[in-house]
Amino acid sequence: MNGGSIIEAQELFKTYHTGKVEVDALRGVDLCVRRGEMVAVMGPSGCGKTTLLNVLSGIDDITGGRVIIDGASLHTMTDKQRTRYRARKMGFVFQAYNLLPVLNAVENVELPLLMAHVKADQARKMAEGALAMVGLAGEEQKRPAEMSGGQQQRVTIARALVNEPAIVWADEPTGNLDSETSKEVMDLLCRLNKEKAQTFVLVTHDLAVGRRADRILRMADGQIVEELPMQAWSGPGVAALT
Amino acid sequence: MEKLFGIPVSQLTVALVIIFGVVMLAGALTAVRNPVLLRIALRNIPRRRGQSALIVLGLMLATLLFSASFATGDTLSHSMRVVALDQIGQVDVMVQADAREATGRRAYFDQSYFDQVREQLAIDREVEGVAPLLSEVAPVASAGGRSVPQVSILGFAGEWMSGFDRLEDQQGNTLLLDVLGVQQVYISSDLATELDVQTHDVVSLFLGADPAVVSVAGIYERGANPAGKLSVAMPLSAMQSLTGTQETINRIIITHRGDAIAGAAHSGVTLSRLEPLLGGTGLEAVAVKQNALDRADESGSSFASMFLMFGQFSVAAGILLIFLIFVMLAAARKPELGIARAVGTERGQVVQMFAFEGAVYALIASALGAFLGMGVGMGMVRIIAVAFGQTDLELSFAFRWQSLVMAYALGVVLTFAVVLVSSWFVSRLNIVRAIRDIPEPRIQRTSRKSLVLLVLLPVVGALMAVNGFQSAQLSLFMLGTSLVIIGAALLARRLGVQERAAFTLAGLGLLAWWLIPASFWLTYLPDMEQGIEMFFISGIVLVIGAVWVVIHNSDWLLKAVLRVLGPVRGLVPVLRIAVAYPMQNRFRTGMTLAMFSLVVFTLVVMAFILTGVAAVFGDTEALSGGFHIRGQTGYSNPVADIRTALHGQDDPRIDDFAAIGTINGSSMQVKQEGSGRDPVNLFIQGIDEGYSDSVNYGFHFRAEPYQTDRQVWQTLQSNPGTVVVSGTMVPAKANYAFGGGVPALMLEGLWWEDEALPEMHILVRDARTGNETRLRVIGVLEQTAVFSGQGLTTSQSTVNALAGMELPPQAFMFRLVDGADVAGTAAALEARFLENGLRTHIMADDIREFTGTSMMLNNLLQGFMGLGLVVGIAALGVVAARSVVERRQQIGTLRALGFEQGMVRTAFLLESSFIALVGIATGIALGMGLSVQIIDTMRDMFPGLSYAVPWTNIIAVTLIAYGASLLTTYLPARQASNVYPAEALRYE
Repeated sequence: MNGGSIIEAQELFKTYHTGKVEVDALRGVDLCVRRGEMVAVMGPSGCGKTTLLNVLSGIDDITGGRVIIDGASLHTMTDKQRTRYRARKMGFVFQAYNLLPVLNAVENVELPLLMAHVKADQARKMAEGALAMVGLAGEEQKRPAEMSGGQQQRVTIARALVNEPAIVWADEPTGNLDSETSKEVMDLLCRLNKEKAQTFVLVTHDLAVGRRADRILRMADGQIVEELPMQAWSGPGVAALT
Repeated sequence: MEKLFGIPVSQLTVALVIIFGVVMLAGALTAVRNPVLLRIALRNIPRRRGQSALIVLGLMLATLLFSASFATGDTLSHSMRVVALDQIGQVDVMVQADAREATGRRAYFDQSYFDQVREQLAIDREVEGVAPLLSEVAPVASAGGRSVPQVSILGFAGEWMSGFDRLEDQQGNTLLLDVLGVQQVYISSDLATELDVQTHDVVSLFLGADPAVVSVAGIYERGANPAGKLSVAMPLSAMQSLTGTQETINRIIITHRGDAIAGAAHSGVTLSRLEPLLGGTGLEAVAVKQNALDRADESGSSFASMFLMFGQFSVAAGILLIFLIFVMLAAARKPELGIARAVGTERGQVVQMFAFEGAVYALIASALGAFLGMGVGMGMVRIIAVAFGQTDLELSFAFRWQSLVMAYALGVVLTFAVVLVSSWFVSRLNIVRAIRDIPEPRIQRTSRKSLVLLVLLPVVGALMAVNGFQSAQLSLFMLGTSLVIIGAALLARRLGVQERAAFTLAGLGLLAWWLIPASFWLTYLPDMEQGIEMFFISGIVLVIGAVWVVIHNSDWLLKAVLRVLGPVRGLVPVLRIAVAYPMQNRFRTGMTLAMFSLVVFTLVVMAFILTGVAAVFGDTEALSGGFHIRGQTGYSNPVADIRTALHGQDDPRIDDFAAIGTINGSSMQVKQEGSGRDPVNLFIQGIDEGYSDSVNYGFHFRAEPYQTDRQVWQTLQSNPGTVVVSGTMVPAKANYAFGGGVPALMLEGLWWEDEALPEMHILVRDARTGNETRLRVIGVLEQTAVFSGQGLTTSQSTVNALAGMELPPQAFMFRLVDGADVAGTAAALEARFLENGLRTHIMADDIREFTGTSMMLNNLLQGFMGLGLVVGIAALGVVAARSVVERRQQIGTLRALGFEQGMVRTAFLLESSFIALVGIATGIALGMGLSVQIIDTMRDMFPGLSYAVPWTNIIAVTLIAYGASLLTTYLPARQASNVYPAEALRYE
């Protein structure tokens, strides 16, 4: 493994079985992400972006290949080991926010800390700090249903970052937001990426979001077909990204 | 079982079948008009088979309870009919003297009446046989020294016995009376076993002062009717010569055509034919078989009604479950319903769609419930059979098809009615919110119509309360005031008062109002009457109050739980999720809590009452009046003076007895002075000084100026114009009794709760002599004086004066000296007074048997009520299964964030545990609270009744209910833990 890489995937295959139909969602993906890097995965619907994110984060199994995260072989771990690893090393931001509706903002944010056995009062302080960091100081007691989409996504980001994970996975983080709020959320993610030096892997349709990343990986038919560094953004290949 | 709650079963069945038919017809017509709605409804059923199975399980419970109750009633009716028919056989009507002799024996009459009766009925082709009979009860002894004190001895006229039962031996051979020689008899196989005799042995019949020695010519298995299992049969002429009653008999028996039961139907006709003949003769015709069948049916109905009555809580919980199920079904299909409404489906059609689906569930669930209820009934019958083990009643399971139909129809109609209301309730939805599956806002604007309803509720409650107050009915008053509180809370919320404040205050108000100590009502509203219905109403209202308080203050509960369990490593995130969900879903949590609380509440209250009453009825000394042995003699050869008879005897010795009381008595016409009611026939017992000086039974009321119970007892001897009455003859304002007979004479102008006994007199007349007297009531016995006779007690001199002769004693009460052998003395007494037919009972055994039987029946009743727990448990299962589906994505998120499979499973199990435990705890707390009041009220009836916490019952209920809840929710919890995060997160 490259000394600077935190995510390394080799020959990743993923096949879904839906009744009698087999769908090859990933077909031999190779990938390497450096520590502190922000990478965007783009491509048309059904190209395997979310599947790639799921298998890299250990949410889903792989049919073949290897996934090494920060030196640990994710593909050889049991479900329990993967779950614990996720709790320690990873944070998630989802398109639909996926906050627990029965918990308020601060309770949602402190949940990963409590799972990591941080003491309750310390967890509360850290969660409040994380909410302040994403600009939601004073909104701690609000339930998700009482917040706007942008606010909910900020809570999700706070939850993803509160235990200072090495990697943050974001699946369409701005998919449910208007352009103004999308920009605000991306500003926040980029700022945190810079400040905390955490690795971000984004899956997005939105070119404006992709442009904020260090690197774009273009996927098609379950494969990474192109890698565009930041300086290539003005090139003709950009049109094929979405 | 012929009647239920006093309504003939046949009428109930017809009415229910008609309602069932109308409902089905209406459903069918609607389905024809909207076949597509029916198709959607039918296709929804197999979509989630597990959920459908749970729904059917929940819906069938009410029917199961109905069916089990009916099965118990039918079995008891049937078994008692079997016993009755066994003893009566083909005899349908019996002619006998309408009065008893002073000794208690039916008077003899001239045999010529038999010819007259036969001629009178000759034209009736339905009458198959008429025969004369001489019947006596007397002791019988074997040469080997074994004896039976009370045996039916029957003299049949063989030539007239065509149409009646034949005496048959074990091989089915007929034993003919005509072939019997002089001093030859047949005896029943049971008697032969008791006496240990065989054919050709001799036995002694104590029909008079001197025993008659006869030879056993044969042993029969059946056919000597009407008689018990212990009987002797001989020709009428032989019996007449043994008793010295030539040309006289004491019965004429009549049989009708048809089998043993069918013959009874003609009894009315026979009675009316005989009426003109028997009028003024001192004879009466009695429809013995019909009466016995009626008694059997009444007992069966009484049992079925009792089980139904106490099953009401479970049925109420079942109704909540049906409602919950349909609300959750609607929640599951909310987006579909929203789309259906968006494309033009009317609200009424949504109702129809749910109603169709509900109807199918109801039809299937009720059929299952009806059949399973029979199984439960069969199990209950087995337990009752053990309880009745000491009696002659052998229970054999029986179930009538009418009962099955009735249980099924009742189940379908009830379930469908609740389904209809639920369907209407869930059809109210906002189309946009439904399509997007967004929760409805907690506070919705209500229409003007519903505002009117909200105002109407407290108004109706107030009217009920006023009516209850005026008619002195506490239940109506309390229900009315409770409706005012409930209505006020709903109205307050509508008017903008914070929901938490409105419902918490109302809930606390209801709890306080219903848990006011009994002494409050006795002090401030002393005239209020209350009955068993208070128990049911209080249960429902208390649970509403408690659930409101718990649900609207759940955050405090959550904090408390987290504080207690927080320090447990790794449990905090799981706990937070486990408690947060039920507190968020207030409706379904509240409903499930209510179901658990309701059933646990009833079980706890019952346990309190039973534990308290068991302690009272375990006090043998108090219940026996201080006596150890009770003896009864036959009237054919009574003991004139037992003390003299015992003097000089070795076994038993007179010194073995600390006291002996004797009792005689006669049936007389009785009426309370000043009462407008007609006189009733009542047995008046006369006690002697030995009884008055030694009995320990206490009085609930003593007239002035008597200071002690002993003074009252002794005054009966010193003042012949006095009487004491049984406690059962005084009505109580707080009367929790259910079923059982009402005494023939209930006193007026006195309540059990009154402070003092007013001046009160009883008028007594002996119809045979025409003698009359006026007796002053100087005491009312405690309810625990169970062996003191359930009527009037006075002195023997008073009874003898009325009877115009010295009546022989019929019962004896013996108190033994310390250390005496009770069983040995009882046996020695029977042996000593064999020729008098003295039969002894050991009081402690009788009390143990009495309390043992009633306790077992009470435990059974508790078990039956406990079936309601299945409702709560099923509700938890339904809620948990639904939660897995609803929270699929959230489970995926949790798994992504690091929740292990075990943590998800634990969270689900903890969630169910939380609801079950809070429900159980609420039920226990309410039960303990109300029990204080009930025990307080009942203590007036049963002095010594104490508030003893039935920990064993409470622990058993908690463990069973909680254990079953965990088992039920384990499967959904496992499903939840197996949710694959990547797939779950794809549901967006």
